Amino acid sequence: MGKGQPSYTDEEFVAAIRRGDDRALAQLYRLHFPMISHYVLQNSGTDDEAKDVYQEGVMVFYEKVRDGSLELSCQIKTYLYAVCRRLWLKRLTEKTRFGGRLDDHEPYLETGAEADLELAEERDRRFATMAEALERIGEPCRSLLEGFYLLDKSMQQLTAEFGYTNADNAKNQKYKCLVRLKKLFFNQYQEFET
Amino acid sequence: MKTEADYYALFDAYRSGELAAPQRTDLERRLAMDPDLARRLSDYETLTGTLTAYGQRLALRRKLNAIQADMDAEQAVRLSPAERMAPAFSSGEAPRPALRISRTEEKLRQFWGSHRATMMVAASVAVMAVFATLLGMEWWKARQQPSLYGYATLRREVDRIKRTQRVMNKAINQIGTPATPAVNQGKFSGTGFALTADGYLVTSYHVIQGADSLLIESRDRQRFRAEPVFTDVAHDLAILHIKDKSFKGFGRLPYSFKRGQSELGERVYTLGYPREDLVFNDGSLSARSGFEGDTGFYQISIPVNPGNSGGPLLDDRGNLIGIISGRQMDVQSAAFATKSSYLMRLVDSLSAARTGQAYNLPRANQLAGTSRPQQIRKLRDYVFVVKVYE
Repeated sequence: MGKGQPSYTDEEFVAAIRRGDDRALAQLYRLHFPMISHYVLQNSGTDDEAKDVYQEGVMVFYEKVRDGSLELSCQIKTYLYAVCRRLWLKRLTEKTRFGGRLDDHEPYLETGAEADLELAEERDRRFATMAEALERIGEPCRSLLEGFYLLDKSMQQLTAEFGYTNADNAKNQKYKCLVRLKKLFFNQYQEFET
Repeated sequence: MKTEADYYALFDAYRSGELAAPQRTDLERRLAMDPDLARRLSDYETLTGTLTAYGQRLALRRKLNAIQADMDAEQAVRLSPAERMAPAFSSGEAPRPALRISRTEEKLRQFWGSHRATMMVAASVAVMAVFATLLGMEWWKARQQPSLYGYATLRREVDRIKRTQRVMNKAINQIGTPATPAVNQGKFSGTGFALTADGYLVTSYHVIQGADSLLIESRDRQRFRAEPVFTDVAHDLAILHIKDKSFKGFGRLPYSFKRGQSELGERVYTLGYPREDLVFNDGSLSARSGFEGDTGFYQISIPVNPGNSGGPLLDDRGNLIGIISGRQMDVQSAAFATKSSYLMRLVDSLSAARTGQAYNLPRANQLAGTSRPQQIRKLRDYVFVVKVYE
């Protein structure tokens, strides 16, 4: 690590990630992985579980940064630790294998990670609903919407791919698909809410 | 009437800023007027917003997976022996000692990593259990000995004497005369006396307790090897037999053994080896029960010392009435001696059980009526040092 790469301070990390700098993200990821991995392994987790938990934790952090809603009152390290600790605790309870105190090796501070996690969970639920709605919408709507929104393809590209006569046709098709998706999505989402 | 899809097209244009200014103001006016339309717009925005965010999330997951895969690959390279071959000096860092980790070892490491704490607790519990058992057994063994609290058995530890002897040797060396070579003194010593003329001796059980070998030394420094024949822990008695071929027998014993009990106030005396020389002590029979009311013992008012154990206790008429066993620490000159009646009972039962060997106990008493110095002169050849080697 660090060979020929600039090393960032916490503020620089946040600024770089906000700009969408993938190298900063990669470095951040590498920097704190051993800590979380050690923590999870210490508390009866496996290597793969450690990776999962850490990725989720980084996602929460990343999305907060991209939102611009991050108010970092502590080091990134501490924040990540708090988030991952919380996530791992949840997993352990789900596995019902957890019967005792967690073995902390970093000081555990109140970092606002709890509240962030609630939001993240809410967002996860929404994404899960969206994924399901996309599953159920059927072709060609699914490919079209995925192409446009998820894979960032341009309308021209999609027109060519799906064999529409012109971009307007494709656009109209897209709007129709959106209407259908909306029905599926909101039905399920509201169902879930109530 | 516009369809929903048409509205979406309109919203899309509005959001991307493609809408011309008049249409835009028109739409904004309508949005302000029509809450239904406003709701429709917000729905649209939630939907597209979620879709975009979902897309970003997927992209991020791909990115993170890629980073993780990179790291895993690096790890694998570092662990593979290829890395060891390829010199890593170019980076200026010393190469890390690469380890080839087999599948089983990896599993073992993982197991160690996750169960380390538990195993350490288990190990310390095991260690503690072992030590507790050892100490407990030691304590239990100590309880088995007749030495109770406040009761001290009187076998002598020879080490202390050795030390004083060494000091003396040094003094002698300073004078200039060559020192006599030190003989192995054994670890403990006590006193014993002849039971029969043909080589049976009596001493206290605690004297020979834990002995590897026993050596009997008479007043004229003659030594014989002896073996315990029988021991009675409860009455602190041991019967030894001399095994040496050079042993010819003690000759006629001058004293006899009393089968009954002696009376209170009887004047009694003992001979023993609390030091290197024979020591005489006398006193009276103070009680017909021993430590904590043990009826197998007498209490006697003879000052006894470590080394006196196993010595004979005789009355004025030269009857052997007891065997010195121990003393009470917190009481002034309260010594205890096993009653000779128990010794007799033991000898009788042994004679009955063993048909081959008979114990020819002395019948006649040559000491009765003589003065005490005369008694002692006759007696002293039948009292021995019992040396114990562990």
